[in-house]
Amino acid sequence: MSIVEVQELRKQYDPPKGVLAVDGVSFDISEGEIFSLLGPNGAGKSTTISMLSCLLKPSGGDAMIGGNSIVHQSLAVKETIGVVPQDIALYPDMSARENLIFWGRMYGLSGDALKSRVDEVLELITLVDRQKDRVDKFSGGMKRRVNIGVALLHKPKVLYLDEPTVGIDPQSGRSILDGILALLDQGMTILYTTHYMAEAQELSDRIGIVDNGKMIALGTHEELVRIVGQDARVTARVDHYLEGLAERWREVAGVEKVDVEQDEAVLLVKDADQVLPRLFESAAAAGSRITEINVTEPNLEMVFLHLTGRALRE
Amino acid sequence: MKVFAIAWKDLRSTARNVPGLVMMLVAPLALASLLGFAFGGGDSFEIAATKVAVTVEDTGAPGAPTAAGCTVAAILESPDLKDVLEVTRVKDAAAARKAVDDGDAAVAVIVPADFSRVVYGDDPAATAQVEIYENPTREIGGSIVEGIVGQVLADFNGARAAAAGAVALRSDAGGDPPPAQVAATAAEAFSHDGGVSSALKITQRSPKVGKTESEVSVTGAVLSGMMVFFMFFGAANVARTILTEDRDGTMPRLFTTPTRHGTIIGGKFVSVFVTVLLQAVVLLIAGRLIFSIDWGRIDAVVLLTLVAAGVAGGLALLIISFAKTPAQAGAIGSGIYLVLALLGGNFTGTAQSSGTYAVVQKLTPNGWIIQGWDTAMRGGGAADIRWQVLVPLGFAVAFFFFAVLKMRRRFA
Repeated sequence: MSIVEVQELRKQYDPPKGVLAVDGVSFDISEGEIFSLLGPNGAGKSTTISMLSCLLKPSGGDAMIGGNSIVHQSLAVKETIGVVPQDIALYPDMSARENLIFWGRMYGLSGDALKSRVDEVLELITLVDRQKDRVDKFSGGMKRRVNIGVALLHKPKVLYLDEPTVGIDPQSGRSILDGILALLDQGMTILYTTHYMAEAQELSDRIGIVDNGKMIALGTHEELVRIVGQDARVTARVDHYLEGLAERWREVAGVEKVDVEQDEAVLLVKDADQVLPRLFESAAAAGSRITEINVTEPNLEMVFLHLTGRALRE
Repeated sequence: MKVFAIAWKDLRSTARNVPGLVMMLVAPLALASLLGFAFGGGDSFEIAATKVAVTVEDTGAPGAPTAAGCTVAAILESPDLKDVLEVTRVKDAAAARKAVDDGDAAVAVIVPADFSRVVYGDDPAATAQVEIYENPTREIGGSIVEGIVGQVLADFNGARAAAAGAVALRSDAGGDPPPAQVAATAAEAFSHDGGVSSALKITQRSPKVGKTESEVSVTGAVLSGMMVFFMFFGAANVARTILTEDRDGTMPRLFTTPTRHGTIIGGKFVSVFVTVLLQAVVLLIAGRLIFSIDWGRIDAVVLLTLVAAGVAGGLALLIISFAKTPAQAGAIGSGIYLVLALLGGNFTGTAQSSGTYAVVQKLTPNGWIIQGWDTAMRGGGAADIRWQVLVPLGFAVAFFFFAVLKMRRRFA
């Protein structure tokens, strides 16, 4: 059963000539599912989250969250969702506990229920020992944990996480991802946005790939990878004659596609074990020498490259 | 409840903002102390020349070379007194009193029509009274004028007594007495008849406001102006958190919670209002304890404090509703507050206001409030300051109305 149903969601800033940030995006999320929106910066992920959080009014389309429309029943939607914004949105001059108590009140909690829930969340984000410290004294990772904790206070049915690991060290990022996986045990539904392919791959039941405001692919990891078949991604650097060599490689059996990006060639190949010796031979025949070569098995990065002709990190 | 949770959160942040507290509480007290000490440590004061409206209704007496009343006016207009008195002739007694009532003059001197006839006449029972009509808030200026006029009248009385004595001596002697005896008799009459029983007297009248015996100390006048001025800044500091929160993401996050927009903005309004109210209360208590300022009757003090907090809060929110960033709000707000303070008399009080400046003061909400504090410190009650409360209240309501209108559009 879908708890989130997004139908042809559209957002244009300053119409009619403004930027079309989200262009007819549709998807749904089942209860207890982790759904990731994967895409480069500026793809429209945060705008989509903002509309689903009732912060921005859609220019078109609608979404039902827990059976309530984001356009017509925003207050009911807000009771259903917890939002973890991309940037830290806390009061730096207040302690972690004071922040949680304040935000808890904003979610309608009070009295003993508020107090005990704040204690639970502090346990969950492992900040019991530092609960009385001001947030501005915290590390980036600790702030991120409080930032997530705020959204968990009212036990939302749906949790939005907008790039929660941006700008923090890998260890803290790992800790956050583990915490998110733990939330699944509580039956929470999660909408996660990221431009980190590995995170989407690790966390998600299903992934929607967005680019230029459009949903360009949607499915499980396996389904998405199948889009590019079994092609492996090979990047190669040569000592000289890269452009000419790229032309030769396009003729090599098993090579599906060759792109030249700055000083390296990016190839999609079938059966890399068979193709790699042929690439070396071809280079030698052209008087060039391969100085560096990397082989990557099919993944979401390659799916994005395949669909857009650009790398996800661009 | 959420309204108060938001307000309480902001109030706590304000309490932890030490530089902000220094500006809200310490700066006005420090400025009031400095200016108070500079102008006499709390005594009454007049800095500029006292404005005097003079009318001479005296048309002279038969056989007299000049009207004696003109002598009174001429002495007041003497170049030697120009640093002390700024004299203006007006057409009649009504105009002179109106000048004082309107604040165009601090003192009116009205020389009556029969003044010369009494001075030059031979009726020992005749009297004439020069009226000194003064604003009770200009006590030093009034005393100066009273002293000068009193001295002139004493001279006239003495001369009149001396002449009478000399005439009586000649009559008693049946001829011309020796000049030395005439001089001695005249001098004796002069020195004895210049007192209260003399023919020429001063009458004092004032447009009354409450207990006119109260004086406003320099520190009280300065601190009331500073208090209103810094209440504007105090309100701006708290109101600016709306923009700071918008920038830092906590405001959008608040909008993702199941809290109505009106509740969020309402909480901000409450925090601004309560902050400036507390600021005023602290300054009033500090002024009382440190400088022994008598702020006046409690009804007037409460009304003026509430209305000042309302104006400061409303104006701060209006400025915030138009500014895009906290820095922009700070720059625009400071400029507006400074101009209002200069026009409204926060730095000068109402003691020196007259003419065009008095009119300009009344175009600003703070000008009315400061005038209200002046009246309250002189003993005026709620009835005496009704306009000084109602007019700024109108300003406050208008500020709030337009601020809410703009913010609802902005955060819809």
